[in-house]
Amino acid sequence: MIGAGIKRGTAELAVLSVLEGGAMHGYEMARRIEQQTKGALRFTLAALYPMLYRMEQHGWIRGAWETSSNGRRKRCYRLTPAGRKKLSPLRREWAELFRALRRLTKVAHA
Amino acid sequence: MPNWQELVRQHLSGLALDAAEKDEIHAELTAHLEESYEVFCAEGLPQREAVERTLVQVADWQDLQRKILIARRRKQPMQKRVHQLWIPGLLTMMLSTIFLIALQKLGFQPRLVGSGPNGILFYAPWLASLPFFGALGAYLSARGGGLLGTALLASVFPVLALTAVFLLMFPIDFVVERVIERPVDFGTVATDLLRDGIDWILVPGVALLAGGFLVHLLFNRHSWSNETAVG
Repeated sequence: MIGAGIKRGTAELAVLSVLEGGAMHGYEMARRIEQQTKGALRFTLAALYPMLYRMEQHGWIRGAWETSSNGRRKRCYRLTPAGRKKLSPLRREWAELFRALRRLTKVAHA
Repeated sequence: MPNWQELVRQHLSGLALDAAEKDEIHAELTAHLEESYEVFCAEGLPQREAVERTLVQVADWQDLQRKILIARRRKQPMQKRVHQLWIPGLLTMMLSTIFLIALQKLGFQPRLVGSGPNGILFYAPWLASLPFFGALGAYLSARGGGLLGTALLASVFPVLALTAVFLLMFPIDFVVERVIERPVDFGTVATDLLRDGIDWILVPGVALLAGGFLVHLLFNRHSWSNETAVG
């Protein structure tokens, strides 16, 4: 079973990475992550918003209400400088973890 | 179609946050559910199934409410106020005061509008600088997560502090004059209050607020220019 820490880490990485491409609101973020990971990562409303609020409190992302072209108000999130700073080491850590796991599974198969 | 707003309000009525924050969360989650439902409908799902698949996103509303509370309360209100109001406000006040002192040291004379003792003094270069200081206060507050009201409050912080000083100064002055048995001329006090209120509070306040509003407008425009994915 994947531990809560790992789950949280991947979720935060996913959100920060997707916001690197530009601002978006929660629903769009969830769709984008699902599409880009081909369904491997799925965020329900219940999983997404507590995390977004937590990340906002950390100062990694910033939400602001905006009115879209169809007149609907949506809270859009964008990366803050602190979020950008957080993203690079987080990426490195995860890349390292995946490399280590790949090595381990290769050794296990050999 | 269910009333998503009512549904969210009912399920998350126990969110122990201030009213504005609670409304904001309700509105955001309502928008998510509405959009989710509409996309399911657009994909061809029957209405009932679209509702079910939308609702399945929240298995336990109580748990969601608890998690939102934990996430939102992480930063204590006091800490928030410090970052959104006190630091930007005090910095605005400090810098604008230092600039005024520097102007006085450099020999800039205030311009007198009106005549006699009731004339109003204006430090034109100082007044011209105030929108920048107001903008700085609002910018720092917004960066700290301050909403429009807090950001504007941070921008006019110097005049708020001055107002407090004035409000304290006049009763103290009144008491002192009573103690030294000097007759108090309420007409003079009222004129002084009005004159000082105009040249140290009202006019600088408007200048600071103009800067704060400008930052608010620029922030909004900036967010639009960065906008890529609002459907």
